[in-house]
Amino acid sequence: MEEESLESSYHPSFQCCVCLDLLFKPVVLACGHMSCFWCVHKAMHVFRASHCAICRQPYIHFPSICQLLHLLVSKMEPVAYKRREKEVLEEESRRDVFSPQFNSLASESDQSEEVGLPNKGSLDISKEDVLCALCQDLLYRPTVLNCGHVFCESCLATIGSEALKCHVCQSMHPGEFPKICLDLDHVLEEQFPNEYATRRERLKQLEKVMLPCGGPSSSVSRNHISKDGHLWLDENLPKANVGVGCDSCGMYPIIGKRYKCKDCKEAIGFDLCESCYNTSSKLPGRFNQQHKPDHQFELDDSHMLYKILLLKSISMEEPYQDLYEDHVSVDETVDSNENIDSNNHTENGNS
Amino acid sequence: MLDTSRVQKELVECNRDTAISGVSIDLHDGANLTHLCGSISGPLGTPYEGGTFIIDIQLPSDYPFEPPKMQFITRVWHPNISSQNGAICLDILKDQWSPALTLKTALLSLQALLSAPAPDDPQDAVVAQQYLRDYQKFVGTARHWTETFAKIATVGIDEKVSKFVEMGFPEDLARSVLEAVKGDENAALEKLCSG
Repeated sequence: MEEESLESSYHPSFQCCVCLDLLFKPVVLACGHMSCFWCVHKAMHVFRASHCAICRQPYIHFPSICQLLHLLVSKMEPVAYKRREKEVLEEESRRDVFSPQFNSLASESDQSEEVGLPNKGSLDISKEDVLCALCQDLLYRPTVLNCGHVFCESCLATIGSEALKCHVCQSMHPGEFPKICLDLDHVLEEQFPNEYATRRERLKQLEKVMLPCGGPSSSVSRNHISKDGHLWLDENLPKANVGVGCDSCGMYPIIGKRYKCKDCKEAIGFDLCESCYNTSSKLPGRFNQQHKPDHQFELDDSHMLYKILLLKSISMEEPYQDLYEDHVSVDETVDSNENIDSNNHTENGNS
Repeated sequence: MLDTSRVQKELVECNRDTAISGVSIDLHDGANLTHLCGSISGPLGTPYEGGTFIIDIQLPSDYPFEPPKMQFITRVWHPNISSQNGAICLDILKDQWSPALTLKTALLSLQALLSAPAPDDPQDAVVAQQYLRDYQKFVGTARHWTETFAKIATVGIDEKVSKFVEMGFPEDLARSVLEAVKGDENAALEKLCSG
């Protein structure tokens, strides 16, 4: 309670709609709505498509934490953010699962306390905290990719290829073109009114020059991908790995083959979906696992929905019958080759 | 484990503008945050106008990721609410629940449900049939039920006691509390609900 009184009430844009507390380690969905890391993860469905808590837009990828927002909130609301950090860490230790830990922040805020910074009142944030990774200017109408990196909507639209790829970390953005994160946009406009207005003006002029293409917002809708993805998930429901997510792209649940790390010790494990297993880039785990590139993988289908259902001997509907029989046979053949395959795989990245 | 800090915030937030919203939430028994007692005023221009409807609220341990369990304690004549046990048929309390919804928004949705019945997706088939076949009769019955069960102020103390008994409170307790607050049923209910 005493702590509460020290915190001047935080910025309304930074309230998480799920825990109704200050956003902690914010995650931004493709629809532009954001919540805390754990609030998003806990709300995700273990074997179906999940839906945004606010707009109900379906999604199947658990996005990475948006570090730009993480730093921004921690700078603007240092006291409350520190309290949240403590609370969440306590809960994580109790459950023995951890969110990604960012060391830099902790040490930074420790220092500021030692220096005797006044408890209330936020640190000044500067334009450098909120730059677009592409244009290196103040973010304008920011959009956040699945990997957590933030770009101006107009900058992202210029990439323009069929599949969106992050310019910072090179990871693919699954699903449709992300919508603007309006909460962040409001904060930017409020904190940097002059720069924001300049950005708006410049973009308007650019649009005039570029003429009929109608600006970035209208053009690059990849709506069909998400719709197909949704259908695809429904059709492949028996192949969903219940409660198991990909630690690289964030797909949750993993549909199809699941590669489980044999060497990671953490209870939550380290898993990859087939397409991430087959690409070279392996991000660190989503739950602070100490995964190393030389770790070995094995195929694991113990969490496949159809297997669980088989074990529980629940009779499946007819249409699924051939689907899972088919799948069992495929899996067995792959299994025998798997050891050789995974050995080759670890250092494949450079070729 | 229940997220108690969120529930506490919700209670404060909801009871801040009770006079405007017409919905409020109280604790049911002491400090137990998993069992609450909601109250909504009947919307104007409906057969429920002037009534105060009490709703039993149970929070599952993984609330807000699971919907709250809500049930009318006050008897009500409505196609989507059981006239027998107060069970509610409303999508946001089932598969359309979202963790961004709150107890307040859920109660407001119930208030909206009172204004706009959906007889095609009924909870109580008898009420729904009456609603579709003989709307005037439905309005009459609903108003009568509101007068009888949801307006405790207009009836004598014995009847007030029996209403509280119908809500599930012990008779002796209800009588003593009602006498203590000189028959003011709202104050009595508050006392009963807060233990």
